[in-house]
Amino acid sequence: MSMQAALPVAMIPGNSIIHRINPIAKLVWVVGYVVLAFSTQNIVVLYSMALFALLLAPIAGITKPLLKGALILVPVGSSLLALQIIAPAVERPWTPVGEIGPLTLYGDGIYYGFVLLGRIVASLLLALVMVMTTHPSDLFTSLSKLKVPYTLNFMLAMTLQLIPVFQREVGIIMSAQKSRGMKGKGFSAVLPSFVPVFVGAIERVQQLSISLESRGFGSNGIKTSYRQVRGRPSDWVIGIVGALALGGLSAYSIWRGTWNISSDIVFSPLFVVVTFVISATLFFGVVLFAVFLSLKK
Amino acid sequence: MPEPIIAFDAVTYTYAGTDEPALHEISFEIQPGEYVAILGLNGAGKTTLGLCVNGVIPTMLGGELEGTVTVGGLDVSEYPVREMSKLVGVVFDNPEFQMSQMSVAEEVALGLENAGVPYEEMKRIIPDTLELVGLAGFEERSPLGLSGGQQQRLAIAAVLAMKPQILIMDEPTSNLDPIGKQEVFDMAARLNSERGMTVIVIEHEVEVMARYADRVIVLDGGRVIMNGTPQEIFSRVEELAALKLRVPEAAELATILRTEYGDWDGPVPITTEPAVAAVNDLLGATRD
Amino acid sequence: MTDATPSALSPLAIDVRGARYVYPTGNVTALGGVDLQVKPGEIIGIIGQNGSGKTTLTKLLNGLLKPTAGTVIVDGVDTAKKSVQEMAPHVGYVFQNPNHQLFARTVQMELEFGPRNIGLSEEEIAVRVAEAVEFFGLQDYIEEHPYRVSFPIRKLVGIASIVAMRPPILILDEPSTGQDHNTTHVINGLMRRLRDQGTTVVCVSHDMPLLADVVERVIVMKSTEIIADASPREVFADKTLMARTNLQAPQVTEIALQTVVPLGGPVALTPAELAADIAMRTGRPAAARTDAVG
Ligand SMILES: Nc1ncnc2c1ncn2[C@@H]1O[C@H](COP(=O)(O)OP(=O)(O)OP(=O)(O)O)[C@@H](O)[C@H]1O
Ligand SMILES: Nc1ncnc2c1ncn2[C@@H]1O[C@H](COP(=O)(O)OP(=O)(O)OP(=O)(O)O)[C@@H](O)[C@H]1O
Ligand SMILES: [Mg+2]
Ligand SMILES: [Mg+2]
Repeated sequence: MSMQAALPVAMIPGNSIIHRINPIAKLVWVVGYVVLAFSTQNIVVLYSMALFALLLAPIAGITKPLLKGALILVPVGSSLLALQIIAPAVERPWTPVGEIGPLTLYGDGIYYGFVLLGRIVASLLLALVMVMTTHPSDLFTSLSKLKVPYTLNFMLAMTLQLIPVFQREVGIIMSAQKSRGMKGKGFSAVLPSFVPVFVGAIERVQQLSISLESRGFGSNGIKTSYRQVRGRPSDWVIGIVGALALGGLSAYSIWRGTWNISSDIVFSPLFVVVTFVISATLFFGVVLFAVFLSLKK
Repeated sequence: MPEPIIAFDAVTYTYAGTDEPALHEISFEIQPGEYVAILGLNGAGKTTLGLCVNGVIPTMLGGELEGTVTVGGLDVSEYPVREMSKLVGVVFDNPEFQMSQMSVAEEVALGLENAGVPYEEMKRIIPDTLELVGLAGFEERSPLGLSGGQQQRLAIAAVLAMKPQILIMDEPTSNLDPIGKQEVFDMAARLNSERGMTVIVIEHEVEVMARYADRVIVLDGGRVIMNGTPQEIFSRVEELAALKLRVPEAAELATILRTEYGDWDGPVPITTEPAVAAVNDLLGATRD
Repeated sequence: MTDATPSALSPLAIDVRGARYVYPTGNVTALGGVDLQVKPGEIIGIIGQNGSGKTTLTKLLNGLLKPTAGTVIVDGVDTAKKSVQEMAPHVGYVFQNPNHQLFARTVQMELEFGPRNIGLSEEEIAVRVAEAVEFFGLQDYIEEHPYRVSFPIRKLVGIASIVAMRPPILILDEPSTGQDHNTTHVINGLMRRLRDQGTTVVCVSHDMPLLADVVERVIVMKSTEIIADASPREVFADKTLMARTNLQAPQVTEIALQTVVPLGGPVALTPAELAADIAMRTGRPAAARTDAVG
């Protein structure tokens, strides 16, 4: 729904296998993903990781919200690729493969562009799967068992718990504006009121934090937990397998000196040009759309 | 005389970013186990006063606080709110801003978890408290998908479950149906008499105040201008009217009968039962 | 049919038939098939226990929610066929919680928002806003952020922002929560003025004295249904109904019920009314009202 559209990164309640995995086991996977993604430059590995994360979505029943959340990757990813094609982050000399207007396109950076993109896509997708299937309090409880510093844990839990509150804020303000006859739909309707939503949300957060502290949130002493987070044998298996597999691959990559396979792959000039055109179009499309919406007010 | 559990000593408070103090030279004491109601117009400073008791003022909101607020022997300006929460429970005036969890049960659990109440005990306390506020069976519902009154009931449950020694409720029943209102005040009265819980209620509805409170404190423009038993306070009908404050309808009835018709010379009734008895006496006398 | 436009589906201001509503989240049935007819210019109150469906019913009236089954016709328009925006000129809606309604940078801008959306001229907007500021006593707050003013003022701003649009039908969801006696008075005055102007008003409230004072007809709701539709006096006098629905008459009405009503007196709604009846029975009115007795 429209409320979900604005900030699609909250927990989606459910009872799938993925939902039931212990938060620590999931966290092991997320950390493992990030470590592996940043220790390898093997695009086969990176995109397999991304694909694996994507495959978890239908199992958890979060395909739609996950894809919505992943939309943020469009401007990021397209600008990244386009940049690597016109200004590769590798040492010169570069081999020109074509020209578009004043721009010279090079094939040398495209592999690295795909690596950067793969790292972000893989890590973000799995992190989203985790956030969307994990109850914030469970994560909080688990992290405090792991002796994660309280303040850090507190901030993380607050952030995750406030997201649905913000989502609702946006939805509510939109219905209020509509019932006073405001024209427009969806995202373009939210944009003009972004500032007030933000101001209102800050106020809300302040009052909420007063209410939370007044109920002892953050106080010293022993804490208990109403939600019982269990560590079943299967959770141990999942966690250990994750740690071993992802850790092992990371170690192997580092041993292979990032396991870069660019020499095995040849990108045809046509592929480079087409990639550039698509990325640049996507990127400017998003930018223009945003500008258009903010002017439309 | 026992030690007062709450003592305001010449408290003047100015919110950050404003020039006018919201509270002026406030001094009063509350004994353990008292049931006190606070009455005043919008903006009189009732909420501000309540926020001083658990230390949200000054520790969270800043501003300028002169004088001292002592609660349970502690100077509130020296302890963080989360520590004061072990002593003072506060139901705030806006129920929606107090909802932060994904289910009703977890909302009630929050304070218990922070106080370290064991799981087994929580499992017992939570349904009991929800039952008490009329939300039995709502455990798994989202707090954001409740009606206004249901949210308010939940906000009360979340604080009551913690069994604080001092309970402050800021307009706790503004969204409740009339019986729900009574139930909340009854409940507070029970906790007050059975467990000696000190209760402070901020309210606009004078009828319930007259019925339940031991003492009424009237605020006006940030000053305490009356402080006495409900009977004393609500008998001062003209003075309250001058302040644009209401008195219970029973008292208003007696006042009209006295001033306009010369028909009333007994004490001013402030609750239903004595008013009914007095009116029936009056009518019985004329029929004889 | 009197002054209904040819396109209007109903000459009534509000015509709800068999309306059901089920909240998709949690699959909660909030309304189980209700019927409600309100004539133009009527002022009605909706009362009933928490969670009985009052807010849901009113949200159906302005199209924020569309009925799961049944029809809702407001000002001659079928809400199911129109967007909320399109309903705005027909029906004004004041939210139970003002925080759900306010979003502008200043109170002034908040008040201008609705009138501007329905296409009024700048002069007309200025007139309406000035009038609302005056009526609700908001002079000191026009430059403030709506979230910076106290809750009761916020509540008044919420009401004023809708009243400035002058909708033919106005819905108020618990307008007097958090208000002191003084500001409740403002709302009372507003309802009287709207009545004089011929606006149809639907007011949801738990504040029995407020309703007793201004409405002629009350709808009583209980767990998803309308179970009574009568005058305040009839409703308050019905002890079983009141107990079943978590309601309670104003204190003075309770006193009347236990004193003068068994003697054939009125189900008084205000202290003045009851006092007059008692004085008449004790033979005192002449003493105070010498001028009235010829
Ligand atoms: N956060 C704040 N910053 C600045 N001023 C404030 C703040 N909160 C309240 N005030 C001001 O302090 C004064 C007292 O406000 P307070 O909220 O205590 O009144 P109240 O008696 O609780 O009123 P109400 O019946 O409206 O709840 C008012 O003038 C108000 O405008
Ligand atoms: N957003 C929502 N999602 C799911 N259920 C809801 C939602 N809003 C309300 N409900 C449920 O629908 C029912 C009717 O709610 P509604 O808000 O209409 O009650 P109400 O009569 O206005 O109550 P109150 O007097 O407390 O304001 C309640 O059981 C409530 O829990
Ligand atoms: Mg207040
Ligand atoms: Mg409601």
